[in-house]
Order: sequence, then structure tokens, then C-alpha cells
Amino acid sequence: MTTVLEERDLQITISHAEAARRFDGPDHGLTHCMNAVDFVVEFSDRLLFIEFKDPQHPDSNLSSDEALSAYYQSERIDQELVYKCRDSFLYEWAAGRTEREVYYLVLIAIDHLTSADLDKKKRDLDRKLPTGIPNKWERPIVTGCGVFNLASWNEQFPNLQVRRLSSQA
Amino acid sequence: MTITRVKLENFTVFESLDLEPSPGINVLVGANGTGKTHLMKVCYAACVFYDPGEDAFLRKLVSIFLPSNNHPLGLVKRYLEDKTTNIAVSLGSRMLESHITKNWGDPPTPRMGSSGLNWSATKVDSVYIPPKDMLANAPGFRSLYAAREVHFEETYLDILDRAYLPPLRNPAEFVPAHLQGRLEAELGGKVTIHGEEFFLSGEQGEIEFTLLAEGLRKLGLLWLLIRNGSLRPGAVLFWDEPETNLNPKLYGVVIEVLLELQRLGVQIFLATHDYVILRELDLQAKEDDKVAFHSLFRSEETGEIECHTADKSLDIHPNAIMEAFDSIYDREIKRSLPGLA
Repeated sequence: MTTVLEERDLQITISHAEAARRFDGPDHGLTHCMNAVDFVVEFSDRLLFIEFKDPQHPDSNLSSDEALSAYYQSERIDQELVYKCRDSFLYEWAAGRTEREVYYLVLIAIDHLTSADLDKKKRDLDRKLPTGIPNKWERPIVTGCGVFNLASWNEQFPNLQVRRLSSQA
Repeated sequence: MTITRVKLENFTVFESLDLEPSPGINVLVGANGTGKTHLMKVCYAACVFYDPGEDAFLRKLVSIFLPSNNHPLGLVKRYLEDKTTNIAVSLGSRMLESHITKNWGDPPTPRMGSSGLNWSATKVDSVYIPPKDMLANAPGFRSLYAAREVHFEETYLDILDRAYLPPLRNPAEFVPAHLQGRLEAELGGKVTIHGEEFFLSGEQGEIEFTLLAEGLRKLGLLWLLIRNGSLRPGAVLFWDEPETNLNPKLYGVVIEVLLELQRLGVQIFLATHDYVILRELDLQAKEDDKVAFHSLFRSEETGEIECHTADKSLDIHPNAIMEAFDSIYDREIKRSLPGLA
């Protein structure tokens, strides 16, 4: 099954999944009180929470490398990513759909991000979510996470290809 | 006086290289064996040789490259067939050209020579900082080197000669005092010399360089070179792997000082394997600063060393340093997202 979903200027084509749905949309019903990741993708053994951040979209007012770097490094982005993931987990738990392991994939569409930049953000998220099983827990909220830019995302996930709509119109 | 062009043919690892360095900071990146150090050494030799005679430059090359048995033919790129090595270095409008050709005989001997005989008319202040610190091991080294055949590249002797130079009466005439002050703040004192021993003099008294962290010795050396005028406007600095034994937290101040020296007219060559050095340069450089990143790499097509130059570290291609980070992150992602990535 192939599902195509869009978040503003980014379009993801999901193949080989059991199901894929927009999560942060009208069907959610609780976005007035809970944060939500953009998409949830279901496989037989895991759930993927997917969040897109697109500060380089065509109408963005962040044009310079410096402004984009400041956006990327801001604490606000980290908090937003963390709360979206946790609230989404809580929502899915209450809906009885969290028996499978949850993985959190974040696409931050800034071209100039290097592996070192992505690695730092991933380590920050690992610590803040947190991923894995901290002491006194019996199961994780999120088993693992990853942070990518557009190029590294498409390199890593051939079954979750993302394209920018404006550049391929 | 700045190095404006370097052309190498059949020299050590280079089949053919033609580089026009920036008058400011030149950062050389590349995997091991791509010739970063060789390129800096050949430029340094062109700056410092001063003996009269056609083969003086080549003798200086031999003393800092140390080919086996001090044989100049060791500098010729190793081919199955014999070829002539050509070296051309331009300083402003002056050009030094040298060649080494194998002369068949038993044993084979080099035929070599240089042109540009007014080359040494204007001395170029230059400093080559090798990767390993010498200041802690300085006492007695110069006497030993003068008296014995010790297998040390001459750059190690040269850097001690520069470090021992007496201070200028007024270093601020050439380099702003705040630059030394910046280094003193990180060092926690100033460098003093007693006999042939170096000390850091600060609030804790005098600490021998042998007891001082090597990273701090590097900052101390930089402080000395500024104070004694070795790094005055018009000088050329070659620094091989400044990151060696330096805590990354100190990279910021080192790059800050180097950028300031560049603004004053010091031409700088750095060979580095370090991502943080590259990013510090990107982040601290101002619009008018002259920074060039030269990536040396082995061509997949020809197998020979080639060079690509970029204005920003993120534009370097190929970038051996970032390739290492890419590999690490790739493996981290595969570990965190098993079966997904």
C-alpha cells in the first residue's frame, strides 16, 4: 500500500506500511489541548511518529543561514518536538494503540545542516524525550529517535521518500 | 609578502598541483596521505632558505622532509619510470623555480637547480609550527642538533629559533596589545625563558613547560611569536594540525587570534583534521576576512591528488572530516532505529 501525505510544501510517499495517517489534523479532535506530530505510520512491529519542520519553505521569513541556524539551535524547537512526541504517545496510549514500539523521526528541512548538527539535535532529543528505558520504568515511551535534513532523510528511508512540492512543480 | 602561487609536478605525492592561495587564511583539509603537510613544507622552505647557491632551496627541502639518506631523489614522486620534479613558488611578483632530475649512474645522482636567484633578496618572516610541541624539550636541543646527526626535521629546530627570539621593544607597534592579552587570559599568565627553559608565569608562580598541558604550551608559543615579532604583518605562518593536544574549548581563542593576525596582514596556512576548527572559522570570520578552504583528495578517476577550493567549510567537497561525521551519524541512526534505516 502506498500513501501520500503532505505538510505544507513537503510531500511524503509512504510504501510498505500497514497504515499511514495524518495525525495533526481535523480527525485528532484534541489539538486544542494536546500537541500532535504530523503523521503516524504503522508497521506490524512498530509505530513511527513523524514530524516535519520546514523553515526553508517558500514563504518562510528565515532566509539567511544565520537565521536558519538560530532557529535550529533554539530551545523552543526542542521543547516543541518533545511535547509533540509525548502528547502523541499519550493520545495513542489512550486509544489503545501503543503496544508496538514507538520511533520518532524528525525532518528539519534546512539544507546546510551537517551530520554534526543533526547528531547534536538527536542527542538532545534522546536526553529530553527521553528515549530508551530510564531507571524505574518498565517500558519506553519512545524506543529511538532520529533527526534528518531532506537529503539525509531520503538517503536513509527509501520507503518514506519526501519531496519539496514547490521545487518540482 | 604573501605566497601567491604554488605549482608542483612529480613532487612527493603530487603528480600535478597548481594552487593560488588566499593572502589571508588557507585551510588545508584532506585524508592522511593527500599532501597537506608536504604542501606547507615546500612553501615554508621557499620562505626561509637564504644560502647562496643554486641548490640551497633543495637542501632546505631535504632538511625539512628528511628523505632517506638525505637524498633529494627521495622527494621525486615514486613512479616506475623516472620523471623530473618541478617546483615553482611565487611570492608576489617573484617566482622561484626548482627541478630535480635523476642522473643515471651508479649510484643514480640527482641533477638539480633553481632559478630566481634574487629570491632571497627580501627575507620573508615565516614560522612553521609542527604538530608536536618542542618547547618542553627545548633545553639542549639546539646544541645537540648543531653537533650531531639527529633525525629531526629542521622545522623543529626552526621553531625553537623563533621561540627564543628576544621580545620586541614595542610589540604593540606591529600587533595590538589586546591580542597578547587575549592569550594571557586563557593561559593565566605570560611565558618567560630562563636559560633554555620555558615557564608559564602567573598567579601560581612559575610552572615549567614540562609540567604544563601541551595545549597550553601551544597557546604560549603563539604568545611568544606575537611578542617577538615573528608574526608581524607580512609574515607567513604555517601551522600543522593546531588541534593536536588542544582542548576544543580553546579552539575559539586560537581562531580568534589567527583571524586577527590575518586582518593585520599575516598569511596563514593551517592543515587540520578537525571539524570544530572549520566551523569556528566559518562562524568567526567577518565578511572582509580572506579565508579559503582547500580540499586535497585522491581522484577516483586518475588516482592522483587533486585540490578543490571553497570559501566556506560547508562547501568543501570532498570533505574527509565531514565524511567521518557522516559515517558516525549514519551508524548512530542505524543503532537507534534498527530495521528502519
